[in-house]
Amino acid sequence: MSFVLGLLLGLAVGVVSYLLFVATSRELPVITSPESTTEVDTRAQENIASLMQIQDAISSLSVGVVVVDEKGIETFRNKFAESVTGIPHADVLVEEVVEQHVKFALNGETKRQVLDLFGPPRKVFSVSATPLLIGGAVVMIEDITERFLVDAVRTDFVANISHELKTPVGALAVLAEALSEEDDLDIIQRLSEKMVDEAIRVGRTIDDLLELSRIEFGGEAVKEEVDAEAIILASISRVSPLATAHSIKVAMIDLPEPLKVVGDRRQLASAIGNLVENAVKYSEVDSSVEVSAQADGEWVEFIVRDFGLGIPSRDLDRVFERFYRVDRARSRDTGGTGLGLAIVRHVANNHGGEVSVTSIEGEGSTFAFKIPKFDVHHQTLMKESA
Amino acid sequence: MNRLAHDELMELRSELLRVTASLVESIPRATQILLDQDLEGAEYQILADDEMDSRTLDLEDRCVTLMALHAPVASELRHAVTIMKMSADIERSADLVVNICKVARRIHGMPLDPKMRGLIGRMGTQAQILFRHAIQAYADLDLPMAKAVDDMDLFLDYLHRQFIESIFESHSAGTIDLPVAIQMAVTARFFERIGDHAVNVAHYVQYLITGEIPPAGDHRRGGRLSDSTGEIEGLPA
Repeated sequence: MSFVLGLLLGLAVGVVSYLLFVATSRELPVITSPESTTEVDTRAQENIASLMQIQDAISSLSVGVVVVDEKGIETFRNKFAESVTGIPHADVLVEEVVEQHVKFALNGETKRQVLDLFGPPRKVFSVSATPLLIGGAVVMIEDITERFLVDAVRTDFVANISHELKTPVGALAVLAEALSEEDDLDIIQRLSEKMVDEAIRVGRTIDDLLELSRIEFGGEAVKEEVDAEAIILASISRVSPLATAHSIKVAMIDLPEPLKVVGDRRQLASAIGNLVENAVKYSEVDSSVEVSAQADGEWVEFIVRDFGLGIPSRDLDRVFERFYRVDRARSRDTGGTGLGLAIVRHVANNHGGEVSVTSIEGEGSTFAFKIPKFDVHHQTLMKESA
Repeated sequence: MNRLAHDELMELRSELLRVTASLVESIPRATQILLDQDLEGAEYQILADDEMDSRTLDLEDRCVTLMALHAPVASELRHAVTIMKMSADIERSADLVVNICKVARRIHGMPLDPKMRGLIGRMGTQAQILFRHAIQAYADLDLPMAKAVDDMDLFLDYLHRQFIESIFESHSAGTIDLPVAIQMAVTARFFERIGDHAVNVAHYVQYLITGEIPPAGDHRRGGRLSDSTGEIEGLPA
């Protein structure tokens, strides 16, 4: 007990003597400085505080910042710049470019370089260095991956829509021209059949575009109770002529329990229908397509699985874009409009759900479409609104 | 060994890491070039190899100089030897990457069936994973990771075998021309060889850490999937 007391006493004495020392040492500048001690002190503290605040702010930026002195030795590096990619070998490559730019900047040049790293995942960085007035340089590393991808989506969309719309219209023009100079009845018959095909094709594309914009801009989806099994069976029967033509077996895997979802019946039918149709189109002859649904907490997941061509991994993120085609050369054989999966994605978004895909090229793809499950909570909501 | 020599060794180390990072980056790039039959990309990648060659040669040169002038011993001697050996493997792997790009030019305009495309993609991914781990093991001097590379190579060998089988399948289905089939067979070998070089790199990492070089072909004892030349057993000739 006395030991503890002694310890505390000793501690107290120590603290007091330290405070005294601090107080006396603070008095010293008074002799040389016209300002009072406290003023200098607070100003210095304020300066330090604001510097630390700035350092904190720079540290939390989502841009990499590296500061070097005039000899090129690093004096500061923020958190983002410590590991810009999170992948060791890619970080090494970024670091190499950073060092190059430090050299440029110390020679008074300001340069910018775009570094396109394959990954995976693919990352695009912009690295630039600027000389500082007080000597040294600052390097900035910016992640511009997103911007790059958005640009790609936009340019591809313009290219694709003109391809999808111009090809059938162009074909119609050529066919009509040939028709106008033809006397042979057989040929006339054949040409006009082709014209009908092309007209139907362009008509379907326009229908899908309209459907897409209806879903996109049509506001909130209607919320009603929809039976999952009924939706699946309806989509299977819709594709059965196509499936029989290619002798592809489309089957529903029996649901473990009756599942109800909340949503717009028409939109859901269109989404699942598109997924199943897609699976059939990209299946090989004599293979099969499986459709199932399962509950996952608050969600119901529809799963459409095929054993067909599969999707190359680099296209996986992009198949839900409008008019995006994995293989443009094949796009006319399948007879699709290139909008099916875009519609599926919009329906999922409209219902607060999501759609995802996994695939191995040459072995098949699995699409998962997830939307909220119908539960008691919804039931009471509906009763109230009724 | 004096301070100066030590600094030089550390510089050699970071240069080796950089060269390897470029290689690791180029493997999936070349795979994509092959799948897209991207002529421009192939040209670029082929030209970029000159830089790889000169950088790896420079590394070897500097290692020799270091050993001649400063006579390093023990772990530092092993380190210098390791860098020299590894840079040779890396140089060779970069050549294989170039070979893959050249295949893209040779098969230009000839479609590949999806199953083969899928397998090419997976071989490319696996080859990159192998090299990534091998060099990570070097950067962190991580012995368990270096040893794990051996096992990862088994999967690449398995993919290689599957790929050769799929060439035979395509051939019997009549969906592949002989010239393309031949190109595909050598391409599969290129990926498989890149994997073997990664295994070599991992072996040198083990040597650097333990002072012992693991016996060649040791990792294949389970099942003997292929012999030391990478030859596949049990396939129709």
